[in-house]
Amino acid sequence: MSDPGAHDWSILDVDPLQQTVTDADAYVRTLMQWHFGPETGSPFWLKRKATLDFDPLTDVKSVDDLALFPNLIDDFRDTTAEELVPRGLGDSPKIAAIFESGGTTGRPKRFVMFEDWFTRYLAWAGRKAASGLGGSGINLLATTPSGPHMIGEVTVRQSGALGGKRFTIDIDPRWVKKLIERGQADELRAYVDHLVDQTADILATQDVGMIQTIPILLTKIAERPELVELVRSKVKRIAWGGAHMDPDTRAILREEVFPGIPIVGGYGSTTILSVAVERKEEQPSGLATFDPFSPYVFFRVVDPDTGRPVAHGERGQIVMNHITKFALIPNNLERDTAIRVAAEDGHIGDAVADVAPVQTFGGTSITEGVY
Amino acid sequence: MSAPEGAPDRAPVFAHVDAITEAGEYRARASKPLRLPDGREIGAISEVPRLYVTRAFARLSAAPVLPYATRLAMLAKAADLFENAVVEGQSIDDYLDLVSLCAGVPRAIAHASIAAIARILRALPDTLAQEIPRGAVTSIDDPRIREGAAYWARQGRTLAVHASGNTPGVHGLWPSALALGYSVAVRPSSREPFTPQRLVRAFREAGFASHVALLPTGHDVADALIEQADRALVYGGQAVVDKYAANPAVLTQGPGRSKTVVTDDVDWREHLDTIAASIASLGGAACTCTTAVLVEGDVAEANAFASALADRLAESEVGKHRTELPSATARQLADHVERVGAGTTSFGRDDIVETVRPGTAVLHPVIRVTPDAKSPVLGVELPFPCVWIAPFTRADGIAPLTSSLVVAAITEDMEFAQQLLDEPSIANVHIGAHTTTWMKPGVPHDGYLSEHLMRTKGVIR
Repeated sequence: MSDPGAHDWSILDVDPLQQTVTDADAYVRTLMQWHFGPETGSPFWLKRKATLDFDPLTDVKSVDDLALFPNLIDDFRDTTAEELVPRGLGDSPKIAAIFESGGTTGRPKRFVMFEDWFTRYLAWAGRKAASGLGGSGINLLATTPSGPHMIGEVTVRQSGALGGKRFTIDIDPRWVKKLIERGQADELRAYVDHLVDQTADILATQDVGMIQTIPILLTKIAERPELVELVRSKVKRIAWGGAHMDPDTRAILREEVFPGIPIVGGYGSTTILSVAVERKEEQPSGLATFDPFSPYVFFRVVDPDTGRPVAHGERGQIVMNHITKFALIPNNLERDTAIRVAAEDGHIGDAVADVAPVQTFGGTSITEGVY
Repeated sequence: MSAPEGAPDRAPVFAHVDAITEAGEYRARASKPLRLPDGREIGAISEVPRLYVTRAFARLSAAPVLPYATRLAMLAKAADLFENAVVEGQSIDDYLDLVSLCAGVPRAIAHASIAAIARILRALPDTLAQEIPRGAVTSIDDPRIREGAAYWARQGRTLAVHASGNTPGVHGLWPSALALGYSVAVRPSSREPFTPQRLVRAFREAGFASHVALLPTGHDVADALIEQADRALVYGGQAVVDKYAANPAVLTQGPGRSKTVVTDDVDWREHLDTIAASIASLGGAACTCTTAVLVEGDVAEANAFASALADRLAESEVGKHRTELPSATARQLADHVERVGAGTTSFGRDDIVETVRPGTAVLHPVIRVTPDAKSPVLGVELPFPCVWIAPFTRADGIAPLTSSLVVAAITEDMEFAQQLLDEPSIANVHIGAHTTTWMKPGVPHDGYLSEHLMRTKGVIR
């Protein structure tokens, strides 16, 4: 029995400042030894090793070879949190939270957010999307999901970094999905209005310096002139995430409704245990472009029929990868589509722009009637 | 058959249809291609998001209400601009090319529809004078108010229109809302958005700068217009009619299921031209086109009628007004006819799909006889000349004629005609030798639009 210390695992240490691993392939090779080594791997992966039609210890030599992994994302619905802890992290690594996916594609998937990864990823994100407001003491108003969803805890940390108070209004995204599935458009409208009313009360009575929310809330706020006035007079920064914002709405919000107030998006997913942050530089396309925390998290944008990458500037479906010593969630074909954009220098994978939900097309059928 | 007149092989210049509001025209980043029936792309239509729609409605609601006479004068001016002028760089010829190509209708039909819209706009002073309740006044200065009178009041400030694209003629209805003092936002059909685009541009140029908007959206945002507006006018199929049935703010224009009935006191042989025109004019694509013909008598009589009608519909003069469709759509429609028409007797040409150019086809008329006047197939309405014929006896009552936009009753029997007039689910009754497609400004099409938009208020000064 070998001691985990016998390996040199140092390349796996997440460095929020360095951002790039110079030899990503070497990183991946070491990561395979970690996740599939009996002393360091998680019960989840050790159990699945035998079912793979390749040997990750010898066959996965590069970032590209990660494509060998089948998409096992559905397995995370039935796995216990204990099974997801890599043994190499020690007997009782500090866990920040157990997060769950939104439940768009069925029952929720569960993932373990280790404090160590959370801290480092947030440090990277804070540097990457630097607002200049850190430590300013401004208050955060967060109308976001809490509970099992990652964004709620992210706002706790965000508010901590700002040094002010945190006001929250809860959103239950799973109930929203149920209402949509049932076609209860009136109920959905009433629920969204309920969220806006609660948010409005805090905006009106409290000293709010920053807002973190979802796109439809911003749209609804923009539809109420008295709320627009409150935001313009108080708020220094608006952040959104957790859903999609179409580029026209984004342009109207930035140029017409809240000119001069930075509106910054995040594209997060529990399956990558992080949020990709919006590039600061305005893109020639005018589209929000998101970079993940490479190489620990990376995207590929592919043609879902062939699995091959689409050309830069073309739309494809997003494949997400989280590859750290804390978790291995490779080759996960998400429902979202995006335009493929070149990653930043030294990063692996793709950046993504204009993220949108997968379009589903019904079969053509004859509609009777002329009108 | 050669290509219909006015359908050139060349596609016109790339055409954009963008949103139009008080602030001007807005090209959204999101758009979808506009295609000819054969699939060729000839342009793009913007798809604005919800926030654009709600902001547009905030401005529409705030638009000043202009005096009645001013509005009518502006509408007459808009009629001239629409019919004759170069509007935003678009000549009437360019516009007619686009409409006839996109809707797949001959240029002559497009031209006639456009002239009809202009005529309706010019006739608004007269038609509204007919629509207003006799006891109502339109001005606070009307001396009748001193005695106490009814005031004709708007039920809201804004009207949303979900338009259809089967014929430009559908855009003859909503402009009367501008005359009534409403602000109007139109969501165009992506099949033929050029008529509402040109109308909105003409209205703006004529002075309705802040009272009219064109809001092209994707399906997901379409309901935002209805949610924002005080009143709505929605064109669609039965599903759309059902969806809004419980919403009193929405007036739906659904399937027409128009019918012609010939009683045995007249000789149908003398009315074949009229009936053929009811079926085939406007390409058979209008809600007023006859979908079913009920012939008083037995099945043999219905068959004899169908045979003669098939001959008449096969004549080239009738056939020249045929709508061009994508070949795949034409084939789907033909298959659909086979499916729903199982058990009926077919007259006329069997293979109804004729390819006129690669990717483009026209449909020959369908003439089918069902022995049962209660057969649901009589309500199957398709966007080309397709008619279901059934024998009819007075013992059936008027049940087979109910739920119709128009019933043309070719009869001398006024007692029978009165029954039709008294039936609530029949919107229009044309008695004698009239087509179902007959129309005249001032004669309601599905009630007056003002019945939906206006009410009377008691007032004394």
